[in-house]
Amino acid sequence: MNMNELLNFSEDELLAIGLSFRVAFWCAVFILPPSVLLSWWLARKHFRGKSIVEGFVNLPLVLPPVATGFILLLLLGTNGLIGKYLNNWFGIKLAFSFYAAVLASMVVSFPLAIRAIRLSIEMVDPGYEEAAKTLGANSLQTFIRVTLPLALPGIISGFVLAFARSLGEFGATIIFAGNISGETQTIPLALFNEIQVPGHETAAFRLLLVAVVFSFAAMSFSEILVKKLHHRK
Amino acid sequence: MHALSAKLKIQKGNFSLDVEVDFLKGITGVFGPSGSGKTTLMHLISGLENPDEGHIEIGNELVLDTENNTLVKPRKRRIGYVFQEGRLFPHMTVRKNLLFGSVYADKAQQIIHFDEVVDLLEIRELLEKRPKSLSGGERQRVAIGRALLSAPKLLLMDEPFSSLDVALRRQIIPYLIRINKKLGIPMLVVSHDLPDLLSLTQKLFLLRNGRVEGHGNYFDLIQSEKSLDIMRGAGLMNVIPFKVESHDVENGLTQLINREASHEIHVERELINDCCKVGDELNVSLRPEDIAITLNEISDISIRNQLKGNITKIIKKENRTYCLVDVGFLLIVSITQASQQKMNLDAGTEVYCLFKSMALQINI
Repeated sequence: MNMNELLNFSEDELLAIGLSFRVAFWCAVFILPPSVLLSWWLARKHFRGKSIVEGFVNLPLVLPPVATGFILLLLLGTNGLIGKYLNNWFGIKLAFSFYAAVLASMVVSFPLAIRAIRLSIEMVDPGYEEAAKTLGANSLQTFIRVTLPLALPGIISGFVLAFARSLGEFGATIIFAGNISGETQTIPLALFNEIQVPGHETAAFRLLLVAVVFSFAAMSFSEILVKKLHHRK
Repeated sequence: MHALSAKLKIQKGNFSLDVEVDFLKGITGVFGPSGSGKTTLMHLISGLENPDEGHIEIGNELVLDTENNTLVKPRKRRIGYVFQEGRLFPHMTVRKNLLFGSVYADKAQQIIHFDEVVDLLEIRELLEKRPKSLSGGERQRVAIGRALLSAPKLLLMDEPFSSLDVALRRQIIPYLIRINKKLGIPMLVVSHDLPDLLSLTQKLFLLRNGRVEGHGNYFDLIQSEKSLDIMRGAGLMNVIPFKVESHDVENGLTQLINREASHEIHVERELINDCCKVGDELNVSLRPEDIAITLNEISDISIRNQLKGNITKIIKKENRTYCLVDVGFLLIVSITQASQQKMNLDAGTEVYCLFKSMALQINI
């Protein structure tokens, strides 16, 4: 195995890398609005049954991803609880598609994004929000002009974490989205394939390297943001 | 006109607040020891907290009435709340902080323009800075400016003297006086520091354990034992109004004069021509412990300030005796019980109050 072989990506591998980034990007983008809203709600509001909501949000963190994927399949599969109506009424077939890969990533990344964003919102002194209100701002204006900018490092960190988690997503994806080259076969799934085939160790090693480098970069970036958040205090 | 009238009741754990307030225009000092409910009162007025029962009228507008479910949100109450720590938005420059509330304010209700605020509070060179790089006093001035630009009908100041350096804490006072003179906006100034509060206003509102213990002029209040009791621990103070008579730049001296006393009080102090013009009025503090009482005028003594007056009341508290002496205005003098007995002082006794000019603290 030499250096050239390590960088000599096959077309399928490049496809998997490209797809991984597309899935991760859209996962992080789509996850941001709901996780910012839910984080704010959990950070600032006190209500009955809050711990149930928290438990539910955190479930994908401890549930085997394969189980998460299975739940998604049961709910959103073509014959699933909700999926069958999506199919019958709107002709939408979610399972085993690019969007299924994005959705599977979103579900498993959600608790991580919530954690980072919620922490950053909790660290925003509510006194600033009170000040904004006495100055005439309503709740939405206060949120946009005060809370959001002050929590920004945490929100970016949440975005990066969701992105990174999505790059590593395997279990839920393979169950709910399948392992279709060019459509749902992300780096981990391609890696899994290569490991299965004798003599493909070099290819597996190439993908492993890509996975390590990008996951490391994303996590370091996220750590830097968290440090910046603490520093601001 | 009433600036604010309210009747408020709230129970918070072991603490309960039950007050009736009626503030007129001008500056009112809200004084009380820590835990007396000052901040809760401010929160209730501003709407950051809501009472169990009560009503609030700001100006002539009803903003809260628990009986008929009237509740105006904090942002609609038009109250300029200057928080103890300023609470400037750390992610914005001073300029953006100042302008934060003005976008929500009705232009017709603005009481002051941006440039006027900047000049009045002397914060022009801070405009592009971030709050982080400001000193405590600067931060507070910006917070006041920000509140003024939100078109308030009432200004609430929470402990404006407490977060500052002791040497600098009183620097905020001339700004507050300036704002009051120029804008005429009613101000409630909350503090647990009586001497600081007195250098700003003599209209006081006393709070203890969530109850009103007195409301009115300082000199009327000290004649009531209950009020005196609350104020005593915080440092009683005489506040005497002086006029700037002249500046002697050459010798570095400023002459102050008070004509309300039994005889004119002339005081020469280090030059203060950078902040006060001739004819300006300023409050001067004098500690009750720094005044001596004699029965006769003393000629062979260096102390020239010897004010003649009559004792109007004697109040004994533990081992101290407080004499209220009318010397044209009321002075409170603290002496020992032994002195009082030896000199046979009583209400009606004619006395002279002696104090050194250096004992006067000029509040600028």
